[in-house]
Amino acid sequence: MTSPIDAPSSVRQDKYYLALPLGQRSPLRVIVDKRNLLVNLLLLGLLILLAGISLNTGSAASLSLPATLRALFGEGDPLDIFVIRDLRLPRVVAGIATGGAFALAGCLMQTVARNRLATPGIVGLDNGATAFAVASVVGTGISLAPPAMALTGAAVAAALTFGLTGRIGVRGYRFLVAGIGVGAVFGAITQLMLTRVSIDAANAAYPWTVGSLNARPDHAVLSLSLALLPALLAGIWLTRSLTVLRLSDAVAIGLGIAAGRCRMAALSVAVILPGLAVAVAGPVGMVALIGPEFARQLSARNTVPVLGATLAGAVVMVAADLLGRVLLAPIEIPVGIVTALIGSPLLLWILLNPNARTTP
Amino acid sequence: MRVLTHCLSFGKPRSLIGLWLGLTGLLTAIALLSLLYGAGDVGPARAWQALQNLGTAASYDSEARFVTAELRAPRLWIGLVVGAALGIAGALLQAVTRNPLAEPGLLGVSAGAAFAVTLAILWGADAATLRVSVAQLGALGGCLCVLAAARLQGIGNDPVRLILAGAILSGLLHSLSSLILLYDQYTADEIRFWVVGSLAGRQLDDLVPLFPSLAVAALLTVILARPLAALALGEHVAIGLGHHPRIVRLLVIVVVALLVGGATAAAGPIAFVGLVVPFAARALAGPDIRRTLWLCLPLGPIVVVSADIVSRLVVPPSELPLGVLTALIGAPVLIGVVRGRRLPTL
Repeated sequence: MTSPIDAPSSVRQDKYYLALPLGQRSPLRVIVDKRNLLVNLLLLGLLILLAGISLNTGSAASLSLPATLRALFGEGDPLDIFVIRDLRLPRVVAGIATGGAFALAGCLMQTVARNRLATPGIVGLDNGATAFAVASVVGTGISLAPPAMALTGAAVAAALTFGLTGRIGVRGYRFLVAGIGVGAVFGAITQLMLTRVSIDAANAAYPWTVGSLNARPDHAVLSLSLALLPALLAGIWLTRSLTVLRLSDAVAIGLGIAAGRCRMAALSVAVILPGLAVAVAGPVGMVALIGPEFARQLSARNTVPVLGATLAGAVVMVAADLLGRVLLAPIEIPVGIVTALIGSPLLLWILLNPNARTTP
Repeated sequence: MRVLTHCLSFGKPRSLIGLWLGLTGLLTAIALLSLLYGAGDVGPARAWQALQNLGTAASYDSEARFVTAELRAPRLWIGLVVGAALGIAGALLQAVTRNPLAEPGLLGVSAGAAFAVTLAILWGADAATLRVSVAQLGALGGCLCVLAAARLQGIGNDPVRLILAGAILSGLLHSLSSLILLYDQYTADEIRFWVVGSLAGRQLDDLVPLFPSLAVAALLTVILARPLAALALGEHVAIGLGHHPRIVRLLVIVVVALLVGGATAAAGPIAFVGLVVPFAARALAGPDIRRTLWLCLPLGPIVVVSADIVSRLVVPPSELPLGVLTALIGAPVLIGVVRGRRLPTL
């Protein structure tokens, strides 16, 4: 693995840090973009801030910020501790994990497809995962846990969409429309299953159909969090190849990158993560568009902001959930609707603005 | 004019009248089936008896009579009207955007109508008559968005991008509607069963307010068929033949809004019918819009009514929403069209 920018002298010192974590002579060299580092730190700070506000906001009891923090670390009034640690904290954690997962998947898929609009939601993955998850919840005789089922659904939908339209690296919009078709079929199947079951089972499956952080089954959050960390590491590992792969296969292969393998790896991550995330929060696929877009606007040009997109997705998810809880309180707007209301105009603008770039 | 007629009647040299009669016969058979079969207890034999005794005053099986005459017959009528309206609207919209994928449901026209109705109910309207005109206004808004997007640079030539934009617009309007339903329990109760798209539980009275606008739409369609056929040859040719493309386009949009708004008001948003029906009609009759429109007239009801029959029979005691079935039929057609090596253009 030799870097395309191998010699430190070719790295402009004012824009990058060159990190040599294993010593001066080690082959492991990490080039860190100064601007991206700053952006990531900024997003992390924003995420912590929003998570704090989210912990502090709710209908149960109005707590002061110090009281919230004390309750978070297990001190103070037992009721406060219960509200913060057992009710609000899991919600914030689930929001961070799902937002990060959707956005990371979106960033990888957009890069691989060379299309800003190619997010897992549009390609039909979310609906596929939802249909399978609902199938396991309403009990159609399949005894797999929702995360596993959602994962299977995402994989099936991805296989259908990409299988039906050929390779993913192709420019153009056809596979997106095929994805809409696949998504429509799975959406119809979801509806079909919901009409067949009793109202209780349908209510239990409801969060999966709109996208909400209300249900968040614990084991699903756990499996998502367990998958997110290695996925993020894999994404960061792939960043260098993906940066080149954005250009064209010929360039990438010429620079010694296994284009097919890299694409396969990125795509697998981009299919697994939404599947697991849907099992937690339902189809909140718009985060997969908003997060990477947000990160790309802030980051240095011509980089693939994998970490930035993940952080931005978590920020967007937590913020949208917060908004949904505050805006029409005491009614809670599901986070899926909030993100759709933010994301759709953005999507339309990218699609219809003749000057907007369609490649990420 | 004769030369033009000759030029336009290329394609499959099948007799239009023969095709039309065949399809109408098929439609009659399907309509009969829709009266005979249902989700409830009344089976085909009892329904057939009830149909035969419909004229006579003394009917021994009042349940079968009630089910066929009061439940299944209105459903059939609404299915016929909605199917014809959506099929023709699809063909017209595809002709005017010159895009074989332009489907009112996919492009957000139905979603516009549904959103307008949701808004109107939120603001206190509840009469059935108002619902029709409000839905038609909403559909007009959706149509104008489509037309504006189609005229944007680069979109007009790329059928697929237009569909994408329409799907996103639909999604946006759908989430706005969901937001309203969440916010306002009364509105939610009022339209919960309408918004899924279904023929179940509709009465014949729901059709009455539709008729004036549908009559206007039918008249305009007859007038517009010839200019549209000319427009298919290109703007310059149409102008040379004495037509006014802008006026034609505007009128077609109005017709589409009337048809889709009316159908949506009666049966809720139903997607994919406007895609499948003109697609089948073009496959049978060739690309001439006038032939296509004639065939859409029986084909639309065939699709909707048979989908409705299936929706009653799949899960016997309960029923499926009609929109689910049309999506199951239509999405593969959409994928098939998109997969084609060369996208057909109109």
